[in-house]
Amino acid sequence: MSHGLEVPSHQAGPVPPPLAPLARLLAAVNRAVLAVSMVALIVAAGVLTYSVLSRYFLKAATDWQDEAAVFLLVGATFLCGAYVQSYRGHVGIEAVAAILPESVNRIRRLAVDALSWLFCSFFAWKSWTLFYEALIDQQTTSSSWAPPLAIPYGLMAAGMTLLALQVLVQLLSEILVGRRRR
Amino acid sequence: MTVVGIGLLFGVVTLVVMFSGMPIAFSLGSVAVVFMYFFMPGASLDTVTQNVYEEMASITLLSIPLFILKGAAVGRSRAGQDLYSALHVWMSRVPGGLGIANVFACALFAAMAGSSPATCSAIGSAGIPEMRKRGYSPGFAAGIIAAGGTLGILLPPSITMILYAVAAEQSLGRLFLAGIGPGLLLVTLFALYAVYRYRLEHADAVRAFNERGATSAYLDDTRYTLRDKIEMLPRVLPFVILLIGVMVALYGGFATPSETAGLGAILALLLVASIYRLWTPNDLKPILTATLKESTMLMLIIGMSLLYSYVMSFLHISQSAAEWIVGLHLAKWWLLAAVLLLVVVLGFFLPPVSIILMTAPILLPPLKAAGFDLIWFGVLMTIVMEMGLIHPPVGLNIFVIKNVAPDIPLADVIWGVLPFVLLMLLAVVLISAFPAIATGVPTLLMGPATAR
Repeated sequence: MSHGLEVPSHQAGPVPPPLAPLARLLAAVNRAVLAVSMVALIVAAGVLTYSVLSRYFLKAATDWQDEAAVFLLVGATFLCGAYVQSYRGHVGIEAVAAILPESVNRIRRLAVDALSWLFCSFFAWKSWTLFYEALIDQQTTSSSWAPPLAIPYGLMAAGMTLLALQVLVQLLSEILVGRRRR
Repeated sequence: MTVVGIGLLFGVVTLVVMFSGMPIAFSLGSVAVVFMYFFMPGASLDTVTQNVYEEMASITLLSIPLFILKGAAVGRSRAGQDLYSALHVWMSRVPGGLGIANVFACALFAAMAGSSPATCSAIGSAGIPEMRKRGYSPGFAAGIIAAGGTLGILLPPSITMILYAVAAEQSLGRLFLAGIGPGLLLVTLFALYAVYRYRLEHADAVRAFNERGATSAYLDDTRYTLRDKIEMLPRVLPFVILLIGVMVALYGGFATPSETAGLGAILALLLVASIYRLWTPNDLKPILTATLKESTMLMLIIGMSLLYSYVMSFLHISQSAAEWIVGLHLAKWWLLAAVLLLVVVLGFFLPPVSIILMTAPILLPPLKAAGFDLIWFGVLMTIVMEMGLIHPPVGLNIFVIKNVAPDIPLADVIWGVLPFVLLMLLAVVLISAFPAIATGVPTLLMGPATAR
């Protein structure tokens, strides 16, 4: 598997003028983050390959590779969350949405986005406090390499913040566009 | 509130939130957080993000994006078409050889790419038109490809199996090996059916010709020389080498499963760079974007599913549900049938990743108590979830086929797929009756399973 869930559930709607600058900024940040994540992905694959080769040929101890790959991949995952949300690529069960009348469906969409935004904001907030504590207490992982935990926590916090912002732009767009139609 | 009350409330709230259409990752996360707030000690909310990070920061889980990268690299090149053409030429003398070539191409491609839909579209885009050109009925052609694609989550390295190994705390190496026997069984069943159906359709075409003089593409006879066959080899060999190389690295003790994922991804990128000249940033961008899109979506679902299971277990919901199932004292095989039926029903709505992570804490303890081997069960569960990929109402592969061959009516595709669903059911029965089909290979290569 993958299960090819890459099919977007529905396309992102139009962005009303007052939100356009923020939406453009977010899109630019998402593009940059996507490029960085591409590099991270290849580096992670390279690090693990190096781990196999160095252990076999150089008989070197492989102590840092797994953790380095974890940091890179966790970072890429959380940072790209907002990009995936920008085209509504996080899959949900759309069975009910398909049978609801449009007026009810609009309320459903608003409720879903509002709840998603609350959750992502909460998660982002708690990630920042986690990052802050790790930074202040200089927490490290328990391995012999012992890299600072603030790195992955910071990436997680940044990614969830971006994601919360992305959902907020989509939620506000939905509200403003709906108002103008009336 | 009693555990039963909390458990029921937890179930109902989850259903409501999920069916609201909220993304699965956010639904699972928010249900978990809300229940933490109301029913767990206040401090647990402060560690919620740490919890998710610690569950996710396992290199076994994080090998998933790399396996997806390997699949995307192979899937976005012309490798699928080449593999298919080569097998087609090699199998041309066998009656029904074209159908068999498609089944084999699907199996090989699925083993490299690890993705059902990617396999359907890569092999199907070349295979379906070719089969139809040769007179195969559209439904039959579509059925072969839809079913062949499902082999992707059974043959190693399968992402579904990685998750099962993590959730069931079983050896990933063993589980991968346990998928091989059943994978070959399904390939054989599919190929035999392809020959049988070919003979039926071929006989019909001959009869129509004799009675009415109606010609059919079935009656054309194309032959390929040995030279044709040898010329096809260079296109296929590199991928066979990739497949074997990754297996040797894993089972020869050179690499851990996660290192294999990194190695496989790098090898796949090198192969498509050298054979198909896909090496400029513009060539690599679609491969990497597709990988990030899919793996981000999956990893967030996985992270939040793990948080969800943690809450379920902290509140003793999973333990109580498991104890309740054990307390029913169902006969061993009834228990298995009921569990598999539940997996089928969940498969109507949920992707396999969520099914595994959400149900494992509830379903596995009773199965273990009933004396079932959890590696063996992992294989069965995977096949049953594969069936979900090709049967309505969701049947993701069916929709991929609709994209590849839009002119085949949906009803034809569904009827064409049905015999293959029955064959998979037959495989489930056979593997239940003869567990060695699954456990034989791991026992042979890694020794008998130690009790866990």
